Amino acid sequence: MQWKSSLLIAAFAGLSLSAMAGTASAAGPTCKDGTIKVGAVSTITGPADFSEVPKATKAAFDAVNAAGGIGGCKIDYTIADDKADPAVAAQAARDLIDNKEAVALVGSGSLLDCAVNSATYSRKKILSVQGLGVDAACFSSPNVSPVNVGPYTLSTAMAYYATNQLKSEKLCAFFIIIGGTQEAYKKAIENWEKISGKKIHLIDLTLPFQGDLTPYVIKARDAGCDAVLTNQVEPQVVQLIKTVDAQKITGINWLFLAPGYTEQVASALADTKQPIYVGTEWEPFTEKGSPANAQWVADMQKAGRPLTAFSQGGYLAAQLFLKVVASIDGEVTRESVTKALHDMQPITNPLSGSAYVFGTAKVHSPMQATKVMKLEKGAWTVETPEWVVLPQVK
Amino acid sequence: MNALLTSAVAGLTAGGTYALLGVCAVFTYRLVAVVNFTGAAIGTAGTFVLIALFEAGFPVWPSVLAGVAAGTGVGVLIGFIMTRWFGEASASTKAAVTVALLVGIIAVGLRLTGGQHPHNMPELFPGSAFRMAGVEVTIASVLTIGLAALFTVLADLFLNNTKVGLNLRALADRPMAAELLGIRVQLLSLLVWGMTGAFTTFALMIIAPQRSPNFMTLSLLVVPALAAALVGLFRSFWRTLAGGIALGVIEGMASSVDSISQYRSAIPFLVVLAVLLWSQREARWDEAR
Repeated sequence: MQWKSSLLIAAFAGLSLSAMAGTASAAGPTCKDGTIKVGAVSTITGPADFSEVPKATKAAFDAVNAAGGIGGCKIDYTIADDKADPAVAAQAARDLIDNKEAVALVGSGSLLDCAVNSATYSRKKILSVQGLGVDAACFSSPNVSPVNVGPYTLSTAMAYYATNQLKSEKLCAFFIIIGGTQEAYKKAIENWEKISGKKIHLIDLTLPFQGDLTPYVIKARDAGCDAVLTNQVEPQVVQLIKTVDAQKITGINWLFLAPGYTEQVASALADTKQPIYVGTEWEPFTEKGSPANAQWVADMQKAGRPLTAFSQGGYLAAQLFLKVVASIDGEVTRESVTKALHDMQPITNPLSGSAYVFGTAKVHSPMQATKVMKLEKGAWTVETPEWVVLPQVK
Repeated sequence: MNALLTSAVAGLTAGGTYALLGVCAVFTYRLVAVVNFTGAAIGTAGTFVLIALFEAGFPVWPSVLAGVAAGTGVGVLIGFIMTRWFGEASASTKAAVTVALLVGIIAVGLRLTGGQHPHNMPELFPGSAFRMAGVEVTIASVLTIGLAALFTVLADLFLNNTKVGLNLRALADRPMAAELLGIRVQLLSLLVWGMTGAFTTFALMIIAPQRSPNFMTLSLLVVPALAAALVGLFRSFWRTLAGGIALGVIEGMASSVDSISQYRSAIPFLVVLAVLLWSQREARWDEAR
């Protein structure tokens, strides 16, 4: 019976081997020394403060770590401040990649990280799940895929909303151009023209960052605009509407991008009767009771963090990254994370209107949907309960 | 042509602002011999005291008084630094010191006032005065131009027809000699700093609602204001007044011409450059004679 027993042994061996393989595939991600190192390059001090973005990412990671980590691996998260200084930003990225050995960048929010570092990221084969893409390079680099809609796609989306739902016939666009954003804004309007089949009535790329806005609102009125889209940020939104009120202009819908969507803007413009619309990057953060926000609100409150739009971005980046890491079989390294992000299937999350995907495209702008808020008596109200999703540009 | 006129009138609001702050700059220069880069920042500090009190629920006009008092205080403080430690320094050193102070005030101000976040700024003089070339000329802009003109007249009279004015001029030219003559240099200087502080604060309170309401933007209004002062070569109040208004009007007109409107924020610098070249040319002439 020699042959029978050896067959049995062989069968057992085969079975246990396959069982071992089975355990290996069910084990999911593993890590060398118990940690997965992740970093973010963000503007924290300097002319702008985007620290809410990576801090929310950190809160999300801390929650996972407290629950035992991901497959037993704790996430070791480093936030580097680029101080809005190109040299500091470059140094911060190199430090995260070479010294801290980060496997990916998650939840960065910076004025210039993408512009300064995207070439480094390409060279080092590391990917960035950007929490808040600000500069144009965040939407035109193979190694960065932001979780926010961004100013350019949002411009197209708001223009689409103006013609589609506000029935605007003479849409005008006034943009502040900082750095190399002119082409991106022009492209945003061209995309809208292709989608809607309409022509922009007036486009002005000379809006000043500071200075009197009276000549511009007069120009909009005299050109007969029935809707005006601009990319102004918080204080300028207030200034523009005050100037419009001072000039007693009526009959124009004023459309702004996500930076205008803050509680300070709402309270500063409580008295105006102008129709003011803003596009959001994610599920409106002021809707604290919305089911889509529930998990984010709970996690942020547990971490003692404020509920801001920026924190949605950081939180969303963390959630998407965690899902991708959970899908990795074997050791979590820069190579395996990069491969997983390249090969990932689109992931949906209630915080955003589009599924997120990294993929291998040369440029990334996965988020193509916004919700529109209207300012009424000093408070933001949801104008579009359903997401405004941009159709594909032909 | 009509569009050009419309945008010229639209530029009056900015022009009044530049003129008013420019006249204040000339006043400071003629009386205490400092090219003051902190002028608008002092006013901004006072204005933000008003904003803070207003947002905290205090009534408007008492808050205005508190704000003006605070602006006066900041003005006196800067004056104290300038007279105490830089009284005998050269004009260029003094100017450099005020630039450094400006950077410091903006940095602290941005931190204290929440950075770029907008604030709820009460409009002290709401409404429009009249309509011209299709533009509502606001009461605030009429008021700024009016105040600039009033300050011009008063400053001229004060400097040329009063004893204190004469003393102050002596002080600006030769502080040491003035002190030896028994003029109370320190006190008079601080008086000037306090006065301009109060005045610019009130001016900025009128202007602020029409500008982007954050600390840095308001403080940097000093750039076009100094350009206006340069048109008056830091001597003539009337030419500064005219220069300020002209700057605003040119800026307004520039925004209606597409090809140059993207460079409109450079206009103050072009004016500075032109005036400097012009004054240099005169100096050459004088030498040649």
